[in-house]
Amino acid sequence: MPIDRAGLDELRALLGDDGVLASHAARFTYEADALVLDRHLPDVVVLPRSTDEVAAVVTWAHGRGIPVTPRGAGTGLAGGATAEFGGIVLSVNRMDRLLRLDAERQFAWVQPGLVNLALSQQIAPHGLYYAPDPASQQVSTIGGNVATNAGGPHCLKYGVTLNHVLGITVVLHDGTVLALGGEALDAPDFDLASAVIGSEGTLAVVTEICVRLLPKPQAVKTMLFDFVTVEAACRSVSAVIAAGIVPAAMEIMDQHTVGLVESWLHLGLPLDAGAVLLIEVDGAAVTLPPQVGRITELAIAHGSRSTRIAKDDAERAAIWRGRKSAFGAYGRSASGFYIMDGVVPRTRLAEALATVYRLAAERGLEAGNVFHAGDGNLHPHVLFDAGDPAAQARALDVAHEILRMCIRFGGTISGEHGVGIEKRPMMTELFAPEDLATMERFRDAFNPDRLLNPGKILPAGGGCGEGAAAAKAANGPPLRGGIPAQLGGMPVGSGDVEGPWI
Amino acid sequence: MTSATLPLPADRMLAPEPYTIGGVTPRMAARPADRAELCELLRATARDGGTIVPWGGGTSLRAAAPPGRYDLAIDLRGLDRVIEYEPEDLTLTAECGVTIAALRGRLAARGQELPLECAQAAGATFGGVLAANASGPRRLRFGAPVDRILGARFALADGTLAHTGGKVVKNVAGYGIHRLLCGAGGALGMFVDASLKLLPAPAARAARIYELTRAQLVDRALWAPFPRLEPAVFTVVGAATASGTGSAAAGASLPGATGRRPFWAVLGFEDDAPRVAELCGITAAALGEPVAELRDAEAEGLWQRLADLADSAPMRLTFTSAHNTPAALVTLPDAGAGTQAGGFVFHAACGRLHEFPAAALGPDAIAARAAAGFALIEARGAVATPAIPSVSGVRELRRRIRTALDPGSRMALGAAWEGR
Repeated sequence: MPIDRAGLDELRALLGDDGVLASHAARFTYEADALVLDRHLPDVVVLPRSTDEVAAVVTWAHGRGIPVTPRGAGTGLAGGATAEFGGIVLSVNRMDRLLRLDAERQFAWVQPGLVNLALSQQIAPHGLYYAPDPASQQVSTIGGNVATNAGGPHCLKYGVTLNHVLGITVVLHDGTVLALGGEALDAPDFDLASAVIGSEGTLAVVTEICVRLLPKPQAVKTMLFDFVTVEAACRSVSAVIAAGIVPAAMEIMDQHTVGLVESWLHLGLPLDAGAVLLIEVDGAAVTLPPQVGRITELAIAHGSRSTRIAKDDAERAAIWRGRKSAFGAYGRSASGFYIMDGVVPRTRLAEALATVYRLAAERGLEAGNVFHAGDGNLHPHVLFDAGDPAAQARALDVAHEILRMCIRFGGTISGEHGVGIEKRPMMTELFAPEDLATMERFRDAFNPDRLLNPGKILPAGGGCGEGAAAAKAANGPPLRGGIPAQLGGMPVGSGDVEGPWI
Repeated sequence: MTSATLPLPADRMLAPEPYTIGGVTPRMAARPADRAELCELLRATARDGGTIVPWGGGTSLRAAAPPGRYDLAIDLRGLDRVIEYEPEDLTLTAECGVTIAALRGRLAARGQELPLECAQAAGATFGGVLAANASGPRRLRFGAPVDRILGARFALADGTLAHTGGKVVKNVAGYGIHRLLCGAGGALGMFVDASLKLLPAPAARAARIYELTRAQLVDRALWAPFPRLEPAVFTVVGAATASGTGSAAAGASLPGATGRRPFWAVLGFEDDAPRVAELCGITAAALGEPVAELRDAEAEGLWQRLADLADSAPMRLTFTSAHNTPAALVTLPDAGAGTQAGGFVFHAACGRLHEFPAAALGPDAIAARAAAGFALIEARGAVATPAIPSVSGVRELRRRIRTALDPGSRMALGAAWEGR
């Protein structure tokens, strides 16, 4: 149901004139998240400032049967923040305050629009930080991180968002406000909060978050190893874990990626290496030299040709810059590319990578890999000529097959970006019908009229989302088949180092 | 419903008396041998309209509040296989009926650690600990089961077998129903098998034990540096409990417990050996030399004894708080007097307090604790237990979730879950 002028006036009465964006130009900004190929113009964008204002908007929309799609910074790669069925995009961008810090007891209440990195910066004077660090942390919001249960390079040691949230205030589908969890570990009703975290805005709108804060590690050591083959790098990763060391991060870039990054940024990366492995350890200063020594021994035993240990923060930043610039490097080298976010058990990494290269080569395409090796979280990139529809179709086919491989190897189709729109069709390959039916029963307990972020996560069918599907048929372009998270054809200028973040 | 209508071989049927909960004995008890038998049993029970309680080691359930109607106990200890243990992935997938002690043994052989704690680890099962979301003195370091579970296969009362999550350490595909089941105590469904994220065993462990005066206990400045050191264990026990003489009669006294001071405390560290030595030095500088010190396996044994204290008295009130040092206990109404007479265990690292009152606490006492930041999350025991406050909107949400997963209200503990 489109929102008429009277409806907009009612929303303005709830939120003020500056809380409602209705012009085409303003709404255009919100027609997609980082999955730019799937665009849907919302009828209106609202910018509430408080839990009460969110509740007022959701109550208003509930009474009129209008969909509400919550949105953080829109960095997700799966279309989770795209208003597929129109209606309201509820942006939390103005809810960006640190509400209360208890440095002694190491927690803080924040609004969902607070940027991840801004939180750590604001609490840094107290010697504390917020551990989950998705690569998008310079722009992505805590609320968006909660919606996708975001991880980050350091989640190998520190865990994902769920492990750092103590409580949330939520607005349910009908505008009811509830506090789930609190400031204590094991606060009452955290069981319900644990199910809301990672539900991509389909169960409730999260309006306040109590996050757990950690003391900043005393010391950090960052190492870079190079290997003749990517398989050897992967075996080193498993060997480190088997030796009882859990580094803060373990990241691998393959030869293809290293070549592109090096030809651009000239960081001194070894061009003839099959792969480079970045390992970072942190913790008490006294524990690090032995860990660095042991890791170096293991890497050499598995074929590392050289060891580079960052001497200072500048060198550490340079090493990480290479890793974080991979996206920009791909953008410079091909007019189109697909990025996938799949996970395999860590011990099957080498096998998975060999399969990725084979699948791409069989279709005459180039594939690169840069990934969170410690977690088995792959981000294969398949490059193609965006002007060649046949090449794009082949790339899509490769992308499909890669995610199927992840499932076959005992992994999953999304490590950190969620299912959203794009991976919804893959859910039937990952889960059995009774699994999906059970999830649907559960989702409907929270969101019975399916107006909160409608259509996301679960594939339509089997009685699910018929109303939504009908609305789709009337309003939107037809659903494309199971396309993995992608950024095909997205223009990336040579100056873009950051970008959709992986 | 009779045993004749159930589809299992006769030798799967057990005497129901050991499955008594709060004085209520089920009409029947059955022990399926695998998940196919379990699902058949559930479907048959659903047809007959029977109500069920899934049963692991019984370590929590025996002391639980009595269910209204209780036809069948399903003993899940027949499902006890380790399905997959890959040390280099730091993950484990096991059936729910395997005991915690068995899993610990399996992992220790590979230098890894099961990040789960509970009382009575020899009898407690994997599924039971997950369902209870149980934790112990190392709650901060390990997280709770909800933090560690990666995915699970679970059965609903109608015999539906469903799976959510997976076995890899990062996964945001689908709803985390497996997380909701952690802490549901078998009220919504039952774990069949689950995958867990493990930890390497630390190279060194140390326990530094002190006896404290009341002035030391409540000295905020004394304790202020400790949370930033992230001790693996930071637990204070009332002297009566520590010496095994209070209503929480643990039997033997804890190491170093003389009862000469009113509080017994332990700071425990688990890390690489040089860091453990460093932390022991910092502790000695702040608190002086300990009355006792344990290392490695002995320290690990002490952690289990501390976890076991939770079950050491018939009546127990469990509170959670955001407090992270023993100084918080000064805010309790009876700190230093009545509290330790009845006995208590305070895991300061994670803010969890178990009180073992000699007599029931009234609403005023519960309210006073809430005002001090200690929220009641569990109450059990023979004496009338106080109700845990709940919010009406949360109750309604719980009702809808329960109806979605168990529309026939066959799970006997469901009403208690809904009302909590």
